[in-house]
Amino acid sequence: MMVEKIKIFLDSDILERYLLDSTTEMETLQAERYIAMYPEVRKVYNELQENLQSYAKLYAMQTPDGLKEKILARIRSERTGRSRFFRYAMAASFIAVMFASASYFFWDQNQILQEENTMVSNKIKLLEEDMKQQLEDVRNQFIVLNNPQTKKYTVTGNKKAKELKAVAYINPVKKLSYINVKKLPHLPEDQCYQMWAEVNGEMLNLGIIEQATDGKNLMALPYAKNAVGYITIEPKGGNENPTVENIVANITY
Amino acid sequence: MSTLLEKHIVELLQERNDKAIALLYDNYGDTLLGVAKKVVRSDDLAQDVLQESFIKIWKKADSYDPAKAKLFTWLFRITRNTAIDKLRSVSTKSDKEIQIDVSNVYTIGVDSTRPELMDVQEHLDKIEDKYKIVLDALFFQGMTQQEASEELDIPLGTIKSRLKIGLRELRKIYGPALLALLINLV
Repeated sequence: MMVEKIKIFLDSDILERYLLDSTTEMETLQAERYIAMYPEVRKVYNELQENLQSYAKLYAMQTPDGLKEKILARIRSERTGRSRFFRYAMAASFIAVMFASASYFFWDQNQILQEENTMVSNKIKLLEEDMKQQLEDVRNQFIVLNNPQTKKYTVTGNKKAKELKAVAYINPVKKLSYINVKKLPHLPEDQCYQMWAEVNGEMLNLGIIEQATDGKNLMALPYAKNAVGYITIEPKGGNENPTVENIVANITY
Repeated sequence: MSTLLEKHIVELLQERNDKAIALLYDNYGDTLLGVAKKVVRSDDLAQDVLQESFIKIWKKADSYDPAKAKLFTWLFRITRNTAIDKLRSVSTKSDKEIQIDVSNVYTIGVDSTRPELMDVQEHLDKIEDKYKIVLDALFFQGMTQQEASEELDIPLGTIKSRLKIGLRELRKIYGPALLALLINLV
């Protein structure tokens, strides 16, 4: 079956015409397939090629002088055209690479700036909130201090801290209270004053009173009816619960 | 033609080294000029064809596939097609029909043959004319088999069989002696 196919193919003149490049596209594909697949077809094709060369050589003619140089000169001019093209191509790719790296550089810079921008705007937001909070505090302090309904209590220390002087401002209408600690007796290094408030039977830690405040800052006290404020002496860094025996001042408001 | 030289030329072509063209010209120029002359039948036109063929060979170097054809077969196809195109453009210009002078198809002028090929000429004369006419018409005149059949007044089937036999008998007719001679010449 296969042998017959090959025989039919070889009996046709497709291979001869393929040799001379005068086959149709379909015939070319067929010829190339047969040559690739069947050794006997390949052998005939190779013989045909050799015969063609032998036959053509019979008609060889002396080439005229100068023709070779003419051809080579034309090819070299093609080449320079080509190499000029390559030079342009090289320049173009160099520019493209430059452009790409510049783009990347700017993109990267943009990313960094965007991050910074986010950070800065977050900071501004925080500051704004902080400022609002502080303004609110100041406003409240102002309200308390300037309100005629605000009661002023002078707080003095007990015998453990005779020099202690503080002023508490309580406004039962606005339900705000502040204390201004004006003077604190000197304490050993390992001790500090701490502020407490007993509100509805619960003892709240209001924090350590810094010497540095020096009466400049008002400390907010949580407001409640019948609340009691305490100042105690505690170990440095503050305590979780007040040491009752170290109470140096109290204020009922 | 040594395969080694062919390989070297093909490598140079693929590297786009113009030494390839110089080597091709030295080794195949005479034969290809003969092919062109057989088609266009004018020395001047044949030289134009050879020049254009080499430019095409240079430009098409990438398309040469050693697995599909021997180097010479590829060169032959390019030269032959260039020559046929040239002939067509010239005849269109001069508005002249291509007249196939049958006696010219297989008669080789002494001036167009290298003297050292004279021995070969004798061999060539031994080939039966009926094959030579067909081979020349198809190989060099750019005729299709149908055209050859009409021009030579030979039935198409006979054209086909003479092409086949002519091509295949070449080797038998000349035998290894011709090949040895040809190798020496190149």
